[in-house]
Amino acid sequence: MVTKIVSKNFDIPNSHTLEVALKSGRYSSVEKLLKMKPDDIIEEVTKSGLRGKGGGGAPCGPKWRLMPVDDPRPAYLLVNADESEPGTFKDRQIMELDPHLLIEGIICSSYAMNIHSAYIYIRGEYKLQFERLDKAIQEAYNAGIIGESIMGKCNYKLDITVHRGAGAYICGEKSALIESLEGKRGHPRLKPHQKECEWYFDNPATVNNVETIASVPYIIDKGYEAYRQYGTEKSPGTMLFAMSGAVNNPGVYELAFGEKMLDVINELGGGIKNGKKLKAVIPGGVSCSILTSDEVSKAVLDYESMRNIGTSLGTGGMIIIDENTCMVEVAKNIIEFYHHESCGQCTPCRDGTGWIDKVLKDLLNNRGEMEDLQIIDDVCDTMNGKTICVFAPAVTSIITSIISKFKGEFTAYITKDNKNKKWQTS
Amino acid sequence: MNDKVKITINGEQVEAPKGMLLIEHLLKNGIDIPHFCYHPTLGKDGNCRMCMVEIEGSKRPQIACDTPIKEGMSIHTNSDMIKQVRKDILELELINHPIDCPTCDQAGECKLQDYYMQTELHESRMDVENKNHARKNVDLGKNVMLDQERCVLCTRCIRFTQKITNTNELGVINRGDRSVIDTFHGRELESNYSMNIVDLCPVGALTSKDFRFNQRVWFLESFEAICGACSRGCNINVDHRKEKYKDDKIFRFRPVVNLDVNGYFICDEGRLSYKNEAINRLENAYTQGKECSMGNAIKSMREWIASNKNKTLFLVSPHLSNEELQTIQIFAKEHEIPLSGYSPQYINESLADDMLHTADSSPNRAGMQKLGISQDEKFFKKELDDARLVVVFENSYFDANSGLLGDKKSACLFSVRPNDLEQFDIVIPLPSFLEKDGTYTNCDGIEQKFITGMQKNRPLEGLVDIFKESL
Repeated sequence: MVTKIVSKNFDIPNSHTLEVALKSGRYSSVEKLLKMKPDDIIEEVTKSGLRGKGGGGAPCGPKWRLMPVDDPRPAYLLVNADESEPGTFKDRQIMELDPHLLIEGIICSSYAMNIHSAYIYIRGEYKLQFERLDKAIQEAYNAGIIGESIMGKCNYKLDITVHRGAGAYICGEKSALIESLEGKRGHPRLKPHQKECEWYFDNPATVNNVETIASVPYIIDKGYEAYRQYGTEKSPGTMLFAMSGAVNNPGVYELAFGEKMLDVINELGGGIKNGKKLKAVIPGGVSCSILTSDEVSKAVLDYESMRNIGTSLGTGGMIIIDENTCMVEVAKNIIEFYHHESCGQCTPCRDGTGWIDKVLKDLLNNRGEMEDLQIIDDVCDTMNGKTICVFAPAVTSIITSIISKFKGEFTAYITKDNKNKKWQTS
Repeated sequence: MNDKVKITINGEQVEAPKGMLLIEHLLKNGIDIPHFCYHPTLGKDGNCRMCMVEIEGSKRPQIACDTPIKEGMSIHTNSDMIKQVRKDILELELINHPIDCPTCDQAGECKLQDYYMQTELHESRMDVENKNHARKNVDLGKNVMLDQERCVLCTRCIRFTQKITNTNELGVINRGDRSVIDTFHGRELESNYSMNIVDLCPVGALTSKDFRFNQRVWFLESFEAICGACSRGCNINVDHRKEKYKDDKIFRFRPVVNLDVNGYFICDEGRLSYKNEAINRLENAYTQGKECSMGNAIKSMREWIASNKNKTLFLVSPHLSNEELQTIQIFAKEHEIPLSGYSPQYINESLADDMLHTADSSPNRAGMQKLGISQDEKFFKKELDDARLVVVFENSYFDANSGLLGDKKSACLFSVRPNDLEQFDIVIPLPSFLEKDGTYTNCDGIEQKFITGMQKNRPLEGLVDIFKESL
């Protein structure tokens, strides 16, 4: 079931060191890369159908095409390593176990877009990953892989800098990430009215997720057809799926798109912990709608299938919830996170997340009223689609889906009906 | 921007400049659109989400401050959907607001209040004990107090310090609904334009240390005037109140928008110069140091001028209006009295800044120049030597040069009490610059008219009346 493309070297001891990485085939794509024209590289990536793996799933090639050609200003590649979505820990594996793959990916992507400076914006809490990445970059500089030239073969200057975030979830949003990288407060920017690249200090820039960049070397090395042999027509290739929660074997598994979610949980995840029944799955980090066990049995892991059942693939970080979990507590846990992390820039999200948090707290403390569910519904409606970034719509989708799919558990708290608190072990 | 396109606003077809921000067009055409964060000088920020409009063909409501005008767009600013959206967003603005309007200085000119009244009144669904709390009286430094609980985080104040004064003292601290405005650690507001953030603040979060707790705004009456603190001639609103049995009193100055002169702002010094009105006013006439009636003082002065015709010097000041200067000029010409406007004491280069304040702390030097009144030092000194009688009009030159009058006779006409009243034989009080009508010519040569709206119990006779008749 597992298809190892990005995670190929994860199991090799000391794979994060340059010595092992070179032996394991890292930087092998560079030779082919330097023979290609930048435009052909973008074409290759476009044909491969590679999609952004940070949660949005936007096609990568067309995004690179948004970079202006013949612009005299320097261009930048900004790698989004601010992985903070709850239930998502895939980029972490890449930076921890195969940082040279990321560097190789940066070389390929930068060369394709005529970029000479790349920044990796890494989540502040990733200390080990930062250290390994930083060390790998030093090794690459010392070995002449990056710096004044690429592996001494091509007179192409490339610098890679790692920048540590200060712990804000919102800095994973690309425009907030850029603001933060520019030294400002991490507030998302207003969206442009037409499709265009990002702007870093008013210079053209592209923001890509770590896993997306790490997928590029394979495409360059083996060609787009090799990549497309995995996955589905519209979701080609593989993705690192993270599994956490009530499963026997939590972890990160690289799968081709199109696998059945239930099979993945049962075969790779080893089934539900302690022989319990599956109750629900949050499929791609907490920013998408929850699936009930019935829906999970129908769920297929690709972008289109997930959208068809009313949720999204997101980052592929599945959170498995068993029958003994109280969904009100799940909702409270999630909204507490969002309340804490809302950047506070625009009104609906700033005050909405806090209000829902307070209402759910009252509910859990048996001070809930029937009107409360209406309040949550109204606030979610105000937050949906009326804010600068997609933080608030994400809150809306998870909170309203939990409430609508497990309404009985919420009303049981309000009516103080202990018989209906089905999650309690008898 | 010059291209006009046809758009439809609330069913009515109008022409609008292509690419202009929709909110700008709506506000310019008097179409009410609630907003907190947008301001013409600070631009869009898109954070308050109050200016939502419905655009036909668009799935969701859009903010007018981030919608460029396009050919054929049809928008609704008051549809049921928009009214509901506004109400919902306002509800969120208010859940953590302390609703302390009875003790808030902004009450009566508060956007939160206005919009709440417009969007149908609704009961709060938030328990009072569940509200967030923050610091209620933060001293931001120069002239401004902050109440963090009342703040709607529109960030106008922050953007003002970033874009207008470039002083960057303010920022948002913390995240989510714990976000508050504050100064950066160890800093305080330092610019001479800080008090503009009080006007910019749409709610009661930022208040003027000077004005707060002094007056409910609905008791105040306003008239437009010209600030007299420097030669820029900034347009101001004079907020004053005449309470029963009391004299008319000025409580504050606020800027009036005039893009040719001051734009949207005024400096703090000018804003606080209303205080000079109340302090040190000269209200009574004196002869030889003894209080006397206005009539007697004017009569004595006129007699002295008549008997010293060839030995008199008139010293006027750039604080006088064009009309006053002209009247005196005509009078002086008729009686062959030398006229000087020598007044170097008002110029101080260190006062000039790169925004509004000029080096000249008098409002009408350009007008005086235009009338051809000499400011030459030699001319003044020579005529002073020759004179037996010196008549001083609002000119403070002798404050620092009292010895120069020697044993000459002197008369003075002032609205503000001069330092050394004793050195003048005759002292006549004048109405202040806010109690008279006239025109000033500012440093850029723009003539600006002002008409007083003050209702003093005892209005003083103006210069024009005193000198309109010849001897």
